[in-house]
Parts: sequence; C-alpha cells; structure tokens
Amino acid sequence: MTDALETLRHEVRAWLEANAPKGWREACTSHDAFLATQRDWFARLAEAGYAVPHWPAEWPGGGRSLAEQKIIYEELARADTPRLLLSFMSTYHAASTLFEWGSPEQQQRYIPRILDGEIWCQGFSEPNAGSDLANVRTRAERRGDVYVVNGQKLWSTMGQFADKCLLLVRTSSDGAKQAGLTYLLLDLKAKGVTARPIHQIHGDEEFAELFLDDVEVPVADRLGAEGQGWAVAQSTLSSERGLTLLELSARMRGALWRIADLIRATGRDGDTGILRDFGRLGTNVDATCALADHFLAIRIAGEERAGDASLVKLSYSRTLRDFTALGVRLGGMDAQYHQPLLFGGGMETGNWMADFMNSYAWTIAGGSDEVQRNIIAERLLGMPREPKSWTLEGAA
Amino acid sequence: MSMTRAELQDAARRAFGEGGLAADAGKSWSLIAEMGWLMMAVPEDQGGLGLGSEATGVIHTELGRALVPGPAIAQMLVIEALSAADGLAERDDLLARAIGGEVMTASLAGAGATGLLRCVPDADRASHVIVVEPTRVMLTPLANLPITPRETWDKTRRLFDIRLHETPNGLVLAEGDAATALAERLEAQLLFALAGDSLGGADAILALTIDYLKLRHQFSRPLALFQALKHRVANMKTWLSASEALFWSRASDTAAALPELGALKAHATSVYRIIAEDTVQLHGGIGLTMEHHCHLFLKRAMLNCALGGDNDHWEEQAGRQALTASA
Repeated sequence: MTDALETLRHEVRAWLEANAPKGWREACTSHDAFLATQRDWFARLAEAGYAVPHWPAEWPGGGRSLAEQKIIYEELARADTPRLLLSFMSTYHAASTLFEWGSPEQQQRYIPRILDGEIWCQGFSEPNAGSDLANVRTRAERRGDVYVVNGQKLWSTMGQFADKCLLLVRTSSDGAKQAGLTYLLLDLKAKGVTARPIHQIHGDEEFAELFLDDVEVPVADRLGAEGQGWAVAQSTLSSERGLTLLELSARMRGALWRIADLIRATGRDGDTGILRDFGRLGTNVDATCALADHFLAIRIAGEERAGDASLVKLSYSRTLRDFTALGVRLGGMDAQYHQPLLFGGGMETGNWMADFMNSYAWTIAGGSDEVQRNIIAERLLGMPREPKSWTLEGAA
Repeated sequence: MSMTRAELQDAARRAFGEGGLAADAGKSWSLIAEMGWLMMAVPEDQGGLGLGSEATGVIHTELGRALVPGPAIAQMLVIEALSAADGLAERDDLLARAIGGEVMTASLAGAGATGLLRCVPDADRASHVIVVEPTRVMLTPLANLPITPRETWDKTRRLFDIRLHETPNGLVLAEGDAATALAERLEAQLLFALAGDSLGGADAILALTIDYLKLRHQFSRPLALFQALKHRVANMKTWLSASEALFWSRASDTAAALPELGALKAHATSVYRIIAEDTVQLHGGIGLTMEHHCHLFLKRAMLNCALGGDNDHWEEQAGRQALTASA
C-alpha cells in the first residue's frame, strides 16, 4: 500500500468518525425515514467528495483510481454507514451510460442533477424479458420530435421513488431482436406513467413496475442512435466496477457478530455441530472477501477475464444464503414470528426470516445464479454456447 | 500476481509439465532438490532463498497439480524446524543435507500422537524424523526405530507408522515455550501445504474434465453443451476460485492463527474432494477405471482431507475461535 493510499484511508476514516450517522438502521422503520436517511447521507457524502469517486475527474468528487475507490468503500463498510441504495442506479448506471453515450448537452443537463439528488431507475426488464433481455416488447413509435411509448416494465429498483428512468424500448421488430432496440431517458413525471411498488416476499418494496401508456419522450432524450439500444444497455449493465460486491462482502464479514451473539444467546456455544457450521460460514465469508479483493486487483492490473465478475457474484450470493439460513436456524421459533422491517438496513439485519428471503435479491437480480453459471461455463471455461434463437418470443 | 509467484509457477509447470503427471518418484525428488524448492523458505544467511509463504505456496500447488509423489511436505517441515534451531551445533550440516535432498521426514497426521508416529512419508529411506513432544521438538535418527508400511489407496504417497522408544532421543531443536511455538508453526505449515496441494490438484482435474467434456460426444453433441453439466462445472470453478483467493490471502497474512489455517485446509481439501468426486462422475465409465487419471486425484483428495487433522475438527476450531473473537 502506497503512502498516498494510506493517507486517503486516514482521511476517510477521520471524516467518518465525525460524520457517520449513528442508529440509522433502527430508525428506518418507514419508507419516509428510509428516504430521509438516504437523501441526507448522500448529500453529506457528495459535499465531502466521497459520493462519486468513480466519476471522471472533470466532475466534482470524481477522478479517483479504482484503488482509491476501494479504500473509500472499505471504510464505508467498516463504519457501518447506510449503503447508498437510493442513489446507486443514478451514480453508477445512469452516470456511466451518460458519460459513454450522452451528448455534451445531455451530460450537462443530467449529471449535475445527480449530485443534487435526482434519482434514476432502470426500465429494462419486462414480463417476457428477464434473463432474455433482448426480448423487450415495450414499443416506441416516432412521431415528429417525440417517441410515443407503450408497454410495461418490471423490477425497476426504487422505481416508485425515482425521478427519471433509463428506458429500453423496441423501435423495430425486423431482423435480430437486439437490433430493434432503442435507449431513452424517461421523465417519470410525464403524463401516462404509472409506477406501482411490488411487494417482495419479505414485504419490502424495493422494486416497482412501470406502466407506460402513450408516454411522450422527446427525441432529444434518446441515447445513441435509433436501433443502438442494445449496445447502450450493455454499458449500463457493466457500469458497476466490482466495488459493490467488495463492499457487501466486507459488510457480511462485519456482520458475523450477529450470528456469534445468537449462538451465545441461545446457549449453543458448546454445540459442536453449530460451531462447525459457524466455522465453515466464517471461512466461506473470508473466501468470498478474498475473491472480491482478488477480482478488484486483477481489474486494476488489467488482467480481468470475461466471467471473473460472475465468480464473485455467485460466491457472494451462495454465502449470503448460507449466512441468513444459519440465522434462521439458530433463531428457531423467534425467527418465525413476524418482525417489522428495517428499510435499507442491509443484507444482515438480524431479522432473520426477512434477511433470508431478501438474500434471493442476490441469487436472482442482476443476472441470476443460473445466468452467472452460463457465463462462467461459456466465457471463462470456453464451453460451447447454446444455439441461439433469434425470434421474438411471446409476440402477439 | 507478483513476478516471483508467476515465475515460480512457470518454472514448476515446465519441470512437471504434461508428461509429469504422477511422475516417477525418484526422478521428481531429485528435480525438487535441484530446483532449490526445498530451500525456498530458508533464510539467506542459512544458505536458503529467504522467500516467504507465497513461494512455498506455489511449490505445494504445483506438486499437487502434477500429483508429484514423495515426501516434500514432510521434508519442508524438517527444514523449517532445523532452520529455527539456532543453538544446535549440527544445524548447518543437517540443514545443508536436507536441502540437498537427503530424506528427513515428519508425521503428516497432525497434532496429538505420542508413542506412535503416524502418516510418516518415505520413512524407509529417511535418515531422521521429527518428534514433537509437549515441551520438546527433536530430530531423531531413524536407524533403529521399527517402521511399519501402511499402504494407502492413494499410491502417490508412501506412508509409514513409526513406533518410538519410551524415551526417544535425538537432537533437541527446541525446548519449553520455543518448542510449543515451533510445534504450532509446523502444524500451521502442514495445514497450509495440504491446502496448496489440494488446490493444485483440484485445478488440474477440473481442467482435464472440461477438456474431456468438450471432446466427448453423446446424442450428436459435445457433453460440454449440456447445461446441466455446464452448471456443475461452473459451481466447481466458483468454489475453487474462492478457495484459491483464500489460500493466497492467508499466504500473505503472517498473523493468521492456527484455526484459520485449519479452516483453510478444511476448505481447500473439501473443494478438492467435491471436485474430484464429481469429475469421476462426469467422466462416466472411464472415470471408474484406472485407465484415466481421475481416480488418482480422487484418492489424493480423500487422503488430504484426512491428513493434518480432519475437517470437522478444524471447522469446529474455527467456529470456536470466531466466537471467542467476537465476545
């Protein structure tokens, strides 16, 4: 570790000691409290210059190397601060896509507003376009200076709280299904947009579905050319640079005390079976942390291979499932009695059944475990790809 | 990856390349000594290379990858103990002989045995054996000790039991607190070595299996096209990658406690066992014959699980330690 990086670590740590919110997890018993916590924490981080270290240097708070970003995330995890859930899609997905595809005008219009707290969500998935994303059927028809959009989007994280949406639409049904896609920037306040929160299995509403009924989107709010949507969407999907899993793994390690406390509270500290399971879990958590760390190191060194990111995600998602399942098992009947959710409290809140159910967010969202396994097998290990079907499924 | 690690890996793979799988024991032993691998961790002022656990980690993974037979792990334990024996007059001479390839051995069974030393590789051709007692670590000449060969299913290792005299004698390498500390260090090194050996083996058999799945056709398509098989292989690759990352992170962590190394050994040998077990299945009929390499990996994997203290024990110890640490 170089001196400059060590200095940064001390700086961030000192700042967090003075500024990290306390008791926020317990306070987040309502969506309003969650939103207030998130907005306030993002504003403080933005002011201190730690909210968008991954942005290019010409933007305030940007220009940090991956090694510096890693330190900031490690310190945020260590201080157990709220994860930036509300602004995540804005500072990563929206910003990265705008940096790569946005015109200077589009960048000037949207990027500063992200720092002011404008919230973006992603409108990619649909009822018939999940893992098979190219199957998008939401139609956009050009009429003069606007596109008129009709369709339904699913699984828009934080969609019910967002101001803007990264929208993938179909402008043509001819040829390869990827080639008929176009990428739009949608104002969720526009006429004809309805956002409905989706109740997940543990009762939280992190996702929304969006109904688009003759919604007009100015042609000026198109990213890339018409028909280029698939390529633009790829940069959205690859915008996150491996730091999230590094942070989440570090937080998972930091939360092992919850299992330890539970073992003691339930008098299982002499139970060799439980001790073994706890030992194995701790080792799997350590291994996942080491893998996330290794992944970032090879990314910094420019040695990353296609599929490496999938190894980290799969390792994390399975370990998180084991972690929360052990909590449920140790919690016995207490874990079965319903407890109110702590919104945005992280993956390991100690509300074990809720945590267990929430762990599916990582085995399904962001490319399911099954998709990750395909990527590892085909791209990392060079096993042959499934023959492709190029037709649009479920088309009326 | 540091240059040292990459260079060492490269040198080892060239030495034990494709044809070296389950190599001839005599040839591979002289190669190991010639390449200087036994002196890797010995300080430079004692005639060694002064490299740390990263370097020995490479050696163990590469020996495991090529299923190299012989007592390298035990020999490196002896060398570590000799290297620590600063007060011993005969030290420099013995160390030079051990580094040069004169077989000196040690038990791979893990802590706990008295009277009977179990799982001692190549005792029939060794000049000395390490004896660990509660307050003493000794190097004992093997000349007059009764040894019993214990044939294992895994033919890449040759293990023996050694019955010790009631009051074993030999050169004292460490006494008192220093002996306790040395014994713990040797145990940690054994666990680390077994983990490395396992990860190298797991990586090798996984790669061979993927090649086989790409080549072998059934129902007019390569086996590698079946998603059910792809997903199994992808899981194996994920577990292996996580275990490798843990191994290299422990290699550079000089403060790692014994239960953490035990947990690493449990993790790596379990990954090896799971992969070796499933790769026999993935090879189908040929996998359950001796005509294919699969069985060699399976047997070495199962043996590695049992050596160094069983995995249930280490997982429990790791759990206990984590519980204490969080109190």
